[in-house]
Amino acid sequence: MTRDIALGQYFPGKSVIHRLDPRLKLILTVAFIVYIFVVHNFWGLGFLILCTAAMLLTSGVPVRLYFKSIKGILFIVLFTAVLNLFYGSGEPLWQWGFLTITQQGIFNAIFIAVRIAGLVLFSSVLTFTTSPTDLTDAMERLLKPLSKLHVKVHEIAMMMTIALRFVPTLLEETDKIMAAQKARGADMESGGLMQRIKALVPVLIPLFVSSFRRAYDLAMAMECRCYHGGEGRTKMKVLHLTRLDAGAALAGIAALVVVILCNVFFARVF
Amino acid sequence: MTPLLETKNVTCVYSPHTPFEKRAVDSVSIKIEKGDFIGVIGHTGSGKSTLIQMLNGLIRPTSGQVLLNGRDIWENPKKIRAVRFKVGMVFQYPEDQLFEETVLKDIMFGPRNMGLPDEEIERRARDAAHFVGLPDELLERSPFELSGGEKRRAAIAGVIAMDPDVLILDEPAAGLDPAGRDVLLSSITSYHRTRGNTVLFVSHSMEDVARVADRVLVMNDAHVEMFGTTKEVFSQAGRLSQIGLQVPQITQIMSILKDEGYPVETTLTLEEAVAQLLPLLPKGGDDL
Repeated sequence: MTRDIALGQYFPGKSVIHRLDPRLKLILTVAFIVYIFVVHNFWGLGFLILCTAAMLLTSGVPVRLYFKSIKGILFIVLFTAVLNLFYGSGEPLWQWGFLTITQQGIFNAIFIAVRIAGLVLFSSVLTFTTSPTDLTDAMERLLKPLSKLHVKVHEIAMMMTIALRFVPTLLEETDKIMAAQKARGADMESGGLMQRIKALVPVLIPLFVSSFRRAYDLAMAMECRCYHGGEGRTKMKVLHLTRLDAGAALAGIAALVVVILCNVFFARVF
Repeated sequence: MTPLLETKNVTCVYSPHTPFEKRAVDSVSIKIEKGDFIGVIGHTGSGKSTLIQMLNGLIRPTSGQVLLNGRDIWENPKKIRAVRFKVGMVFQYPEDQLFEETVLKDIMFGPRNMGLPDEEIERRARDAAHFVGLPDELLERSPFELSGGEKRRAAIAGVIAMDPDVLILDEPAAGLDPAGRDVLLSSITSYHRTRGNTVLFVSHSMEDVARVADRVLVMNDAHVEMFGTTKEVFSQAGRLSQIGLQVPQITQIMSILKDEGYPVETTLTLEEAVAQLLPLLPKGGDDL
């Protein structure tokens, strides 16, 4: 049951996107999200949808999984789209009571829906093709300049790594404890909201107890290996940019040029 | 007569259609009669845990049937809880499931979920605590104050208190010291003897299985490798070692003696071995 949560689920593979440097992937993901929010006409939007489709296909991850991550936010997408439908200005196309739909409203709805879906899909490509450790590693390196400002970048990255590392462990533990309580007749699938919340107590208390125990054990193990924070620490896996990364960076810049050209040459519709 | 618990070609596949697809149990058909004491052995990953969780409806088989008293337990998925009260399951490291304020309340959790009257719940909980040898003064303490062995026994009592027809124990003695292990095993055997209920006992310790079980189910690579009386199974040391399992040490020693031409039989426990070997000594071992 808890296994259905596609939370940063890494999908191992050997595609071009899998082999890219995680730092570059992170930057490109942010860039593409910016593009999709900057673009203001259908030409640019269409271009970015094509880019997204191409990326999903080259990632080698079953398209089914992407649909699953979209399904999770389908409600939010539809809700904001419908809300935006009624908030356009200009000539009404259709009117009923206080509800008016204008051409602008329809465009708004389409843009909002595509933007949210794009945001989720881009981040899914990143999390499906990058292992959590690579991802936090990339983040640590990209944020390195902040350590000049006394931001504890290494500590933050370490906390993220540990948190991500323990997500599957905690899920497994939750499954185990839930199974044990179900075996004693705990009923977690029926009843009202209050009853369901109450039914979680027998799961949450053992989970808390074991999490604290794990945290103590981990802290002890880290101290035993003389861990003392980021100062003077070297990396086992040093990241290198390759030709492949250069190509991907060029593709990202080319996409930026196309987006700018679309915005310059075609009229704003949103 | 219909067996108490029966599986018909049950198969369980985890994460189908992904790179992580795993066939954990592959068309297993077994019959378990009332009053059986069955030891379940097999390598890590052989499918034992999945199989036993299908027996009480915690995992729904991908295909095949699990029959309890001749009826498919998934006939009505809404009634699956009733099956879990009849087939009680004690997981590995069951002390991780304790959560109540007092030990007694924790043991009462199962019977309370059955919707029994209050006096009956408390009577059952105290009975169960007595069965596993928890002294009365511990029952009002917090479960988190108990020692490892006591926690283990409290958790097992929580399942016994539901008075299931079949009790499944997954590695109940793992991580206990030898004394705790002895106490636990003897309370399980006395539970089986006095209540006459069916017990399934999963273990990595061949010595423990030889000591308590009447029949042994050997799982290997998602299949049933052997299912017979304890003597039958442990007399096939060669076949067991092929799948990476061993027979109890005393059985090994006795089979070597047998191969050397001594008149001894397949033996499972130290006591039996002594009874066979003493008469072979000069003067029947009287001078020892």
